[in-house]
Amino acid sequence: MSEKLYQIISNVFNVDTSKINDETTSENLEEWDSFNFYVLLDEIENEFNIKFDLDETLEIKKIGDIKKIFLKHGVKTE
Amino acid sequence: MKNEENLAYFLNEAKIIKPRDLGKKLRVAFLASSTINGFEETMRVKCFQKGIDCITYVADYNQYNQEILNQDSGLYQFKPDITFLILDTRHILGEHFFSWYSVPYDDRPKIIDTKVSEIQNICNTFQKNFDSKLVITSLQIPNYSPYGINEESTLRSLKEVVYAINNELLQWKKFGNIFIYDFNEFVRKFGEKNIFNYKQFFSGDIKISTEYIPKFINELMGYIYAVTGTTKKCIVLDLDNTLWGGIVGEDGFDNIKLGDNPVGRSFVEFQKRLLALNQRGIILAVNSKNNFNDAIEVIQKHPNMILREDNFACVKINWDDKSVNLQKISEELNIGLDSMIFFDDDPINQEYVRESLPEVLVVNLPKDSSQYSQIITEMKEFDVLKITEEDTKRGEMYLGQKKRKELEGKIGDFNEFLKQMDIVVNVKKADSFSIPRISQLTLKTNQFNLTTKRYQEEEIAKFSSLDNKIVECVQVSDKFGDNGITGTYIVEKKNDDEWIIDTFLLSCRIMGRGVEEIMMNQIIEKAKLSGIKRLKGEFIPTSKNKPAENFYEKLGFKKENEFWVFNTDNIMKKPEHIKVEKNE
Repeated sequence: MSEKLYQIISNVFNVDTSKINDETTSENLEEWDSFNFYVLLDEIENEFNIKFDLDETLEIKKIGDIKKIFLKHGVKTE
Repeated sequence: MKNEENLAYFLNEAKIIKPRDLGKKLRVAFLASSTINGFEETMRVKCFQKGIDCITYVADYNQYNQEILNQDSGLYQFKPDITFLILDTRHILGEHFFSWYSVPYDDRPKIIDTKVSEIQNICNTFQKNFDSKLVITSLQIPNYSPYGINEESTLRSLKEVVYAINNELLQWKKFGNIFIYDFNEFVRKFGEKNIFNYKQFFSGDIKISTEYIPKFINELMGYIYAVTGTTKKCIVLDLDNTLWGGIVGEDGFDNIKLGDNPVGRSFVEFQKRLLALNQRGIILAVNSKNNFNDAIEVIQKHPNMILREDNFACVKINWDDKSVNLQKISEELNIGLDSMIFFDDDPINQEYVRESLPEVLVVNLPKDSSQYSQIITEMKEFDVLKITEEDTKRGEMYLGQKKRKELEGKIGDFNEFLKQMDIVVNVKKADSFSIPRISQLTLKTNQFNLTTKRYQEEEIAKFSSLDNKIVECVQVSDKFGDNGITGTYIVEKKNDDEWIIDTFLLSCRIMGRGVEEIMMNQIIEKAKLSGIKRLKGEFIPTSKNKPAENFYEKLGFKKENEFWVFNTDNIMKKPEHIKVEKNE
C-alpha cells in the first residue's frame, strides 16, 4: 500500500520514489507546490477509493500524515 | 497509472516542452475570476502534441477587468491571438447567487441590465483595443434554488436571470471576433457533481475540479484548431468492422451487422454522425482491404447503409497497402495528409499508418463499436470559426470533381477536356459575404499559395476597406457544378509605378485548369488601367507550396533579387477556354 501511495506521489510530483518518504514535506520537496497538492489528494482519493474530510486535508504537512489519515479510514499502508 | 488524460501528466509535461519553431504559433491569454492553475499548462501541452507552438499569458487572479481596461496591463504587452474569458455565475451574481429572492421583484430586471452592461463594457474595450479573438464562456445555470420545485413556476427566477444574461451574451456573436462557448454544454456532458468539487473550491477557489481541467481545455481546443487552421478536412474510413459489423468477404452481404440489432444499430448511428459531418463540409473517403465488388455492393445496395457512393469523394477498395491508399487519396483530392483523420478498427493498421504516415491523425478506435459514435462526437478537430457556404456545399463539389476526373479519363486529351468543361470564372471584390471565406482560404490553402500569409477575418475586412489594397476573389463553376469561392488575391498599390502581390492563392481542387492565369491577368489588366508599370511578386517557399514554385516564371515574370517582376507593357497569355465574368 505504501508502495502504491509513493507511486501516486511520484507520478503527480514527477519525482523518483526514492526521493519520497514519510518525512517529505512541501519544504523539502521542491516539486510539491500548493496546486499540485490538490491534484495529489484527488488522485489518492480516486485510487484508494476514500474521501478525505476538508480538515483532514488541511492537516497534511508531510507524507506521513497521509498514512495517519489512511489508518483512520481503515486503509492499510503496510 | 501514468494516465495521459490526467492533470498531473499535463502539469509535468508543461515543464519539459519547449517551442520548436514549427511554423504554427499561437499566443493564448486566459482571464478568469477564479483559480485557473493547470489551464495554460494543459493547453500548451495539447497544442505541442498537435504541432502548435503555444505561448500563454494568465492574468492575475480576478484581475480581468483591470487587465482589459488598463492599457498598461500585461495583457496589452502580451498581444494575444486568442483570449479566453472564463466567467462564472458565482462571481458575476455575487451575493445574489445565494439570495436572489431577497431582491424585490421589480428590481430584478435592473440587476440583469447592470450585470450585462458590466460584461459588455469589458468586451467593447477589448474589441477596440485588441486584434485577438475573444472567447467568453457563458454562465452555468445553477442547479439549486431555495425555491425548490417552485423555481420553474416562478417569474424572474434565479435560473431566469442566468438565462437572460446568457441570451444577451449570445447577441454578441454578430461581432466578428467574439465567440461564446456554451459552458452548460460542458456541464451537461460531465455533470456538475463531477466538475465542481466543494473541497477544492473552499481550499483554493478552484471552480473546475483538477480532474476535469483537461476535459475542459479539450473543449476549448476547437477554437485553437480553428484559429491556427489545423482543422481536419477529410475522414478516411475502413469498411469491415468500421462502417458495418463483420467482414463482408467472409460473412456475406446478408450477414454483415448493419441495422436492426444492437451491434448493427451502433454502426448505423456512427454512419449518421459521419453523414452529418459530410453535409457540413467534411470530406469522406474509403480505404479498405476488400474485393471491390463485395464491398461496393454493400455501399450501393444494402438497405440500412446510410452513407452511399455519392457521400465519398474518393473510394479505395483494393488489396493495396493502406498507407499507399491514403497517399493516393491525398493526391487525388488534393488534401494534405495532415488534414486527414483515419478510422480503422484494426489496431495493427492503426499502428502501421501512425508509423508510416505520422501526419495523419489515426483514431484510437476500440474494438467495441458502441463507442464509435461517442468518439466522433467528442472530436474537436473539425472546428472552424465560421461555417461558410463553401463548407456546406463541399460534398457536392467533390462529387463534381469525381465526375470531372471521369470525363478527363474518357477524353484523354487535357486541352480538349478543359474546353468541354465550360469553366466560368466570376471575379468579385471582397464583400461581407466573401470576407469570411477569403480569410478561410488564406488560413487553409497550402499548395497553390505564393506567399502563404495567413489572415484572420478582421484583417481581410480591414484590407478590403483600404484604398491602397485590392482584395478580390474568384468563384469558379463548370458544367459539373459550382466550386464556390476558390481563389483570392490581395494586391498592395505601393506607388504610382509599382504594385505588389501580397497574397495569391488558389484552392488545389481548381489548380491547373487556367484559373490561376485568369486571376493574374485580372491583376495585370487592373494595373494597366491605373497606369502601373511594374507588378511585383514574391514566392515564399514552404514545405508545401512547391506546385506554385514556377508560376511567375511560366507567366513571363522576370526575377529581380528575391522578387518576380512583370512589366505591364508586355502581354500575358490568357487561357481561351475560360469565360470571365466580372462583378467588381
